[in-house]
Amino acid sequence: GGSDEGDGSASGDGGETYNWKFVTEEIDGQVQYEYAEEFAKRMNEKTDGAVNIDVYEFGGLGSETDQVEQLQSGTVEMAVMSPGFTGNMVKEGQLFALHFLFPDSVETTQQILNDSEALNTDLRELYEEHSISPLSYWTEGAMQWTSSRAISEPGDFEGLKMRTQTSPLILESYKAYGADPQSMSWGELYTGLDQGTVEGQENPIFFIGDASFHEVQDYMTISNHNNYVAMTTVNTDWYEGLDEDMQSTIDETVEEMQEWVFEEQKKQNEEYLEVIKNDTENPTEIIELTEEQRNAFREKAAPVRDFYREEVSTVDGQILDKLLEEIDSSGQ
Amino acid sequence: MNVLKVVDKIILKIEEFILSYAVIIIALMVVGKAIIRETFGYSLPFADEVSQIAVVIATFMGISYAARKGRHISMSAFYDLAPFKARKVLAIFIPFVTAIVLFVLSYYSWLYVMDVRESGRVTSALQMPAFYLYIFIPIGFFLGGIQFLRNMWINIRNREDVYLGTDAKDYNDQDTTEELEGTHL
Amino acid sequence: MIATMLIIMVVLLFLNFPMMIPLMVAPLVIMFIYFPTLDPMILMQQFSTGIEAYVLLAVPLFIFAADIMTTGKTSNRLLDFIGSFIGHIRGGYAVTTAAACTLFGAISGSTQATVVAIGKPMRQRLLKVGYKDSSAMALIINSSDVALLVPPSIGMIIYGLVSGTSVGDLFIAGIIPGVLVFLCFAIYSVIYAKAANIPLANKASWGERLQMTKKALLPLGFPVLIIGGIYTGLFSPTEAAGVSVLYAFILEVIIYRSVHIKDIPKIAKSTGLVTSAVFVLVAGGQAFTWVISFARIPQMITETVLGSDPSAIYVLLMVTIFFFIGCMFVDPIVVILILTPIFYPAAMSAGVDPIHLGVVITFQAALGSATPPFGVDIFTASAVFNKPYLQVIKGTPPYILMMFVISALLIFFEELSLILL
Ligand code: NA
Ligand code: NA
Repeated sequence: GGSDEGDGSASGDGGETYNWKFVTEEIDGQVQYEYAEEFAKRMNEKTDGAVNIDVYEFGGLGSETDQVEQLQSGTVEMAVMSPGFTGNMVKEGQLFALHFLFPDSVETTQQILNDSEALNTDLRELYEEHSISPLSYWTEGAMQWTSSRAISEPGDFEGLKMRTQTSPLILESYKAYGADPQSMSWGELYTGLDQGTVEGQENPIFFIGDASFHEVQDYMTISNHNNYVAMTTVNTDWYEGLDEDMQSTIDETVEEMQEWVFEEQKKQNEEYLEVIKNDTENPTEIIELTEEQRNAFREKAAPVRDFYREEVSTVDGQILDKLLEEIDSSGQ
Repeated sequence: MNVLKVVDKIILKIEEFILSYAVIIIALMVVGKAIIRETFGYSLPFADEVSQIAVVIATFMGISYAARKGRHISMSAFYDLAPFKARKVLAIFIPFVTAIVLFVLSYYSWLYVMDVRESGRVTSALQMPAFYLYIFIPIGFFLGGIQFLRNMWINIRNREDVYLGTDAKDYNDQDTTEELEGTHL
Repeated sequence: MIATMLIIMVVLLFLNFPMMIPLMVAPLVIMFIYFPTLDPMILMQQFSTGIEAYVLLAVPLFIFAADIMTTGKTSNRLLDFIGSFIGHIRGGYAVTTAAACTLFGAISGSTQATVVAIGKPMRQRLLKVGYKDSSAMALIINSSDVALLVPPSIGMIIYGLVSGTSVGDLFIAGIIPGVLVFLCFAIYSVIYAKAANIPLANKASWGERLQMTKKALLPLGFPVLIIGGIYTGLFSPTEAAGVSVLYAFILEVIIYRSVHIKDIPKIAKSTGLVTSAVFVLVAGGQAFTWVISFARIPQMITETVLGSDPSAIYVLLMVTIFFFIGCMFVDPIVVILILTPIFYPAAMSAGVDPIHLGVVITFQAALGSATPPFGVDIFTASAVFNKPYLQVIKGTPPYILMMFVISALLIFFEELSLILL
């Protein structure tokens, strides 16, 4: 069981101080870590120094799945997590892996993430059954493909050794294009791409640039095939045990941060796009898909939604369908 | 006593079987995956996960086997310099404390297994309940603890020499070293 | 907190507890004392996380391949081959030993396997041509350490795991340092043989050489397969390990018939035993890392030891000292597991290349394990050769001196590690 208020303790001047731990799946400089640092700073200022949040970068506290369990047990109070790493527990969270689900515009996508009842109420309830409360969903940018051969239509994927995560849904998504999905650990990926053990991978641009994958890949397709979505989460019991003032301070800060993190990811993705374009030593051809080309992929990806409804979802795709309605009515 | 001996023999056989075939399965999975990928361009999605399961099982089920054989890695420099009486005392004290630690770890890891079970988490490739895998951790610690208690008991009963395990009779008291099983310490 | 941790570790270690115990008890005690509200369950989670990494699968596989080969005839074929070419020169048997250890090191992932496979047969030959036992054993221990440097290397796999660095790159980066060590030892062997007046052995005829080469051709395929496979991207390091098992199986069971297929489960059992003994340490190491990261201990230690803004060279020198001393006492795997998470972040912010750091660390691990008073390789040799400790260490000083020099070269010239990448 977790401690009720972190390590809350009475301080000399009558006020209470709080020490919380905030764990992320990324390292110093990357979007999630910067988010957590900024969040910690704002909370500290708003409470006149009463709230101190230690931010942990990825690595020391184990795997992403471990971090999820640490949030659940109250070992850490807060976490940025990607639904992908909880997909084996809260199956509905895998919907973020569906290709061509959200609109092409990252900005509209963020708007949907902010407003969606399907996500902020229905999906949140499912997470709360596991002591995880997602307070917000935000995009770290659209996902792109890098590869050793040009990809502009689904046929280009035929037999391509694509490094992906191993969930059946993601495997299904790439098999739909005829690709050959492979698993490879993070530490081996750069070398694996360099030597052709795997021939392609997917990530947001800032991640591709930060990990220098463009150095060992010849092409980057601006596919925007989905968004890398992260959630700001808290341990449910801990959060509900806080007094109302503190809860609303957190909620308010989480809300402010939505705009901040949108700008942060935008800035990082734009900066790294320039880095990749300007790396003349390791040229990378950037392929922008036309609307027609995107539709060809979209068509191939559509049946995967049925796979999700039938094989993954535990509520017959209800949350997905509600989200699809919300996306439709967002005017795209 | 005879019943105990039979049970012990069965456990030994199971441990040996698990260690042996875990390694063989890992080899088959890793080689099989590479060959199939290079010849048919198809990736076996479950190969890595099966290997990882085999590793977890072998590691924790191996604790008691390694204890039985006296093959856990330790830093014996100072111990080796100690006189017989001190070594004898340590050979009773160390397995005893080790057993207690392993029982404590067994208890906590059992709680962990129950927790994972409750969460309903499944493994990503096989979609098998994740706690099936973790259940070998408390079992391994528990059997390891029993084995260390047994090593302690042998040292209490047998007053003449120091017993560290079937493969590792304290070589300070021996003139010959038998060939060690495997090439690594 | 750091003091509590150190005391627990040192006391339990020196009392001769199995090393998994201090590794698992220290984090548990720290948790009870300093974080009483936390659930110790978290450490159990880390035990499994520690050993689930894909790269770690290479460890049992390389050991399995080595176990199949030591049961069979591979090492003798390599010895005969090298001996037929250089056995007759001054110090030829010693040079042969160094070369065979390097070559076998490029097949097997561990020092101990090399001591057994090459050290056992070569010691007899060295004694026969007039070497003192202490100098023969010193040569074998130190040459076998090259196994940790040239691919495949279990030390590098563990470092790659802990630091998130590419194991394939580390393997490639270890080649030049490994060859450098061999060259130094070879030159020393020639000089030593001259000074000690070791008689010359018979020169093999070209016919014999051809015959020995033919016999060694297939075993020589191992390093080609492993290094070549990784270099060209045909396999990942883990797959290379798997392929070397397959190759060892084809060679020893099918072609040479020196190992019966019925023996394979028995060999696998002993591989499994060693794997378990190593992996419980990796599991404990992960729990240990979790606790120190959670308590932010690495930041405290590096600030004390390294100051606020250390230079890359200074960091490398401190890393060298800590790893060297650590490996004199404790198994290199444990030292890498504990010290890497502490020093890695500081080294990165000082601008050290992660691959270069890995080579420096692995080199210190090799050096520390062979250095008296407590280097683990000395105890291995003492057990394998059944010789008293003092006789085993008597001949080691010249080798340790040479290793110190190479160690300094590696620190100051990162190109030695990185140029092949
Ligand atoms: Na490029
Ligand atoms: Na090696």
